[in-house]
Amino acid sequence: MPRYLLKRLLQTVLTAWFTVTVVFVLLRMAPGDPAVNYAPPNPSSEQLAAVRHEFGLDQPVLGQYLTYLQHLLRGDIGESFQFRQSALQVVLDRLPYTITLAVAAIAVTALLAIPLGVWMARRGNTAGELGANIATIAGQSMPDFWIGFVLLIVFAVNLQWFPPSGFTSMSSIVLPCLTIVILQVALVSRLVRREMVTNLNAPYVTIARSRGVSERRLTWRYAFANSSIPVVTALGTRFAAMLNGVVIVEVVFKWPGVGELVVDALERRDFPLIQATVLVTVVLALLVQLLVDMLYPLMDPRVRLQEARR
Amino acid sequence: MSDKVGMSGATGAGPGRGISRRALLQFAGLVGAGTVVGSALSACAGPQGAGGATGSGGGGKLSIVLNRNLVSLDNKLNQYDAAVTVQRAVRQALTRIGQNLKPELVLAQSFELTAPTTWTVKLRDDIHYSDKSPVTVEDVETALKYYFQVKASFVAAQFPEQPVFAKIDDRTFTLTTSKPLVTLDSLMSNILITPAKANKPEELREGIGTGPFKVASADSGTGTYRLVRNENYWGEKALLDEVNISYQEEEGGRVIAITSGQADVIDTITPESAAALKKNNDIELIQEPGTRLIHLFYNFRKPAGHPLTNPKVREALSYAVDHDSLISSLMNGVVSSAEGVVPKTLAGFVRTGQYAFDPAKAKQMLAAEGVSKLDLTFIWEESEFAGAARVMEALVSMLGDVGVTVKLKEIPKGGEINAWRRGEAGDWDVLGNGYGNQTGLAITNLQGQYGGTAEKEKTRDSYHGFVFPEISGLIDQAGSEPDAAKRDALLKQAQEKIWALSPAMWAWTPDNVLAKRKRVTSLELSPANSYDLSKVRVSG
Amino acid sequence: MSDLAVSPTRTAVPPKVLRRSAAARKARYSTIKMWVGALCTGVVVVPVALARVLPLPDPVHGVLRETSLPPLSPGHLLGTDPNGRDLLSRILHGGQTSLLIGLLAILLSGLIGIVAGAAAGYFGGWVDTVISRLLEAQMSLPLLLMLLLVVALFGPSILVITLVIAIAQWPEPARLTRALVLVEREKPYVAAARVLGLGRLRIIARHIIPNILSQTLVVVLLLLAQAVLLESALSFLGAGVQRPYPTWGGIISDGRELFVTGAWWLVTIPGVAIALLVLGVNLLGDGLRDRVRRAKAVTS
Repeated sequence: MPRYLLKRLLQTVLTAWFTVTVVFVLLRMAPGDPAVNYAPPNPSSEQLAAVRHEFGLDQPVLGQYLTYLQHLLRGDIGESFQFRQSALQVVLDRLPYTITLAVAAIAVTALLAIPLGVWMARRGNTAGELGANIATIAGQSMPDFWIGFVLLIVFAVNLQWFPPSGFTSMSSIVLPCLTIVILQVALVSRLVRREMVTNLNAPYVTIARSRGVSERRLTWRYAFANSSIPVVTALGTRFAAMLNGVVIVEVVFKWPGVGELVVDALERRDFPLIQATVLVTVVLALLVQLLVDMLYPLMDPRVRLQEARR
Repeated sequence: MSDKVGMSGATGAGPGRGISRRALLQFAGLVGAGTVVGSALSACAGPQGAGGATGSGGGGKLSIVLNRNLVSLDNKLNQYDAAVTVQRAVRQALTRIGQNLKPELVLAQSFELTAPTTWTVKLRDDIHYSDKSPVTVEDVETALKYYFQVKASFVAAQFPEQPVFAKIDDRTFTLTTSKPLVTLDSLMSNILITPAKANKPEELREGIGTGPFKVASADSGTGTYRLVRNENYWGEKALLDEVNISYQEEEGGRVIAITSGQADVIDTITPESAAALKKNNDIELIQEPGTRLIHLFYNFRKPAGHPLTNPKVREALSYAVDHDSLISSLMNGVVSSAEGVVPKTLAGFVRTGQYAFDPAKAKQMLAAEGVSKLDLTFIWEESEFAGAARVMEALVSMLGDVGVTVKLKEIPKGGEINAWRRGEAGDWDVLGNGYGNQTGLAITNLQGQYGGTAEKEKTRDSYHGFVFPEISGLIDQAGSEPDAAKRDALLKQAQEKIWALSPAMWAWTPDNVLAKRKRVTSLELSPANSYDLSKVRVSG
Repeated sequence: MSDLAVSPTRTAVPPKVLRRSAAARKARYSTIKMWVGALCTGVVVVPVALARVLPLPDPVHGVLRETSLPPLSPGHLLGTDPNGRDLLSRILHGGQTSLLIGLLAILLSGLIGIVAGAAAGYFGGWVDTVISRLLEAQMSLPLLLMLLLVVALFGPSILVITLVIAIAQWPEPARLTRALVLVEREKPYVAAARVLGLGRLRIIARHIIPNILSQTLVVVLLLLAQAVLLESALSFLGAGVQRPYPTWGGIISDGRELFVTGAWWLVTIPGVAIALLVLGVNLLGDGLRDRVRRAKAVTS
């Protein structure tokens, strides 16, 4: 166990380093000039040079990278060009919003998708299941920003039930959460259905049924218990992906999370802030994955972590 | 400072050596619950934000949604129109740009040109900060120094040189420049005064000022601020109890915010939104001629012999632009076509002519100059002005009608536009560009756009290659001419010469449009697109 | 119902009962799904394919006087945008670009995915390690951000956006192919081919891939739906194809600021077109997948 953990943590660090490096290089290669965004309008070359010097952008890229790594090892992620304060601090200010949205969305998804998936599996090959099947496919066929717009217009502008944007009260979370949930329920419920069908048709269930185990117990204690690993994995992966920023939903609803932050920072070429956001969210997402993996032995004692899965 | 959060999380997750399944489960549950509760808590403790719309009684609350993040309550590094409104509510300057774009005294009792290069300033004797401490001349000295110390200061860039400060007595000082600087009283309206001890050569996030409001809470990350009335204000106290400020870059989002009542005031709105909001009974629009010039500027760096180097060709192309249709269809009538080379609201503006739509004349003039099969590339930065993409796409058709092919190149945000403008990223013919004005003076625009010299062009610092020594000479002369009448005459001459060169295919000035809910009963928008928050009144 | 998987011959069960059996119903439902899917896809794809033939106004040059007309206006079935351009024409012409990008992208990602997946599955060893690591690394990257950066880097052209989408999508067919090849290479026919002295590349290309192609292609078809969605998402975030030529995402993105001001049709209608096409492709793919699986189950 400790060796496995150590190995996974090392992998996490390596992946984080890889990601940050890719982002670092892409940012330096991309056209655009951060200095222009932080100099006065219609800037002169002198003013631009001054800004570049201040941000250390007049150094060769390799030098910038080495300095960046050096600072990183000391725990210094850099100062945001835009906010003129620790980029880490800016990211950490925004992170709770993304986490709240992701937690809420994944919780609602689980609450809806699992019963729906189980129901679809139990009702396999009925007209009701066909309808649910087509509905879930429809759920994942709409562009998420489009769902967001439609919800926004209906519930925020016309009915005025929920605040349209930003974070003003807990009810602000409803619309962005709903937008995410529509897509995620569609995806997760189909996964649940697939797993449940496999397990419900497995010999052990038939045997249990022949011994007179109740259908309810068969569904939940037998088949669902055995479907839980893939389902939890899927939920965990989706949760981890959301931590990387539910970018589009955050942009549509102006949710003050990291996704919105990073799109904004990209338009302003706020290099340290983009790097910090990517670093923090990638590490967090990897840790969530790790946590999910560590849950496996709890859900199924046959799983031991020493062996590489796959 | 607080570092390595990711890392400490990592070590937190890995305490286990041979821990039992139960313990691990408990631990995981704890972490999970901790994350949920923690995030929910911090989210609740976050910005209480723009909930002011429902406030009532007393002076009331006002909720403003800006179009950009107000990163700080200071303007050393950046400043845009709406920010002025908020920044001036907390910190004030010696002067301000008034309703008629002329400088007015604020903290200064007098601000006079006492010698060709020397201004003498006397502070008011009744002014003090929100903590009742007095305003000293040293505070002014420090403020001025720090504005010039920060690199690439937005404000300092507008001064031709840094004025030299000299104290005379406890309330009087002089500002001296090497060349006459006749606009110093206007320029000083952007230098905000803060107690010298609390001032720093960087943007101030908090702290006190002399203004009618003080900061109750500030979160520059999410751009939300809460201001409350300064009960110790030296002047007439503010009417409002509280002002909540947030931002929303997406225009649609701001429109939703005001229609849903989340916001009371949104400013700098686009023509489309203005048209839609006009229909709403709860909302009033305030429309004022603005000071921002937007033009379709020709590239003056074309090699000799290129058709665009010929002023006649440039003029001919301008006849192809059906600006009345553009204004009515795409801009909902909230812009006005330029009648000169700077916005007509600016002090020193001279009417030099009008843009006209006459495609037949355009074709005829192009033919007369022997130009056929002209192929032009238009560039602009994404969202440089309201409806930019739509205007540009419409121009493709209009120029097509006079036989000119237009290729569009929209430059994404991120600063890439600068290399294009300097002619380093690629060739182009026409640039859609906005040019703001913070001083209310025509000469500021003229210097910035038409004051190019061969020396500036060496570093590509002229305005897209516009280098005409005769014109820049006139502008320079005007800049150091203390006599107002002579100065205006020189500026008139310069503007007429510029107009004759047809530097732009079309130019226009958007009106400043502000939308407010009806509960905001008084609000006075200035041509500089800002308003005095202390005079804003709300009902109910 | 000639496509029933269970043969109705030689059975004592009356056909009526047989038709109600689970297997028959399943087959029927997958047929329904495919028909509905084909219908949805057809409703969008056929007019898009015929965009140049249909009598439509120019999608790029508008009449400014006819600005922002609502749907069902005379001469403009779906209304116009602020530039006075016919929305139907823009959606159909834009659909050509969007579909072209989508098709090219899945062609490319399918190709890369199948080749990489087959190589990883068949050769194993370091080839597998490298490809698997790449897949994992890509999983952990903040994908959308990376795509935006790459589009910013190379400029938004049809080629770049196609490449970007292909890069985003190759893991799925790769993973599936790898898993299928792992099973397939242990089968006797592969051993036989090896004994006959066939080269490894030849075995993969001529023997293994044809056997797994049907299952993989279904996944690739489903990727078309994702590709169309991804293109619209990129356009929404500002990384769209160069103006003034429309794409679906671009039309929505341009319309979004007008959406709240009352011009709802500029966002809603192209959104419906995307949703309809994606739904159609998804249903079609889903139905096909059921059928391919069943065919496999019958033959093996």
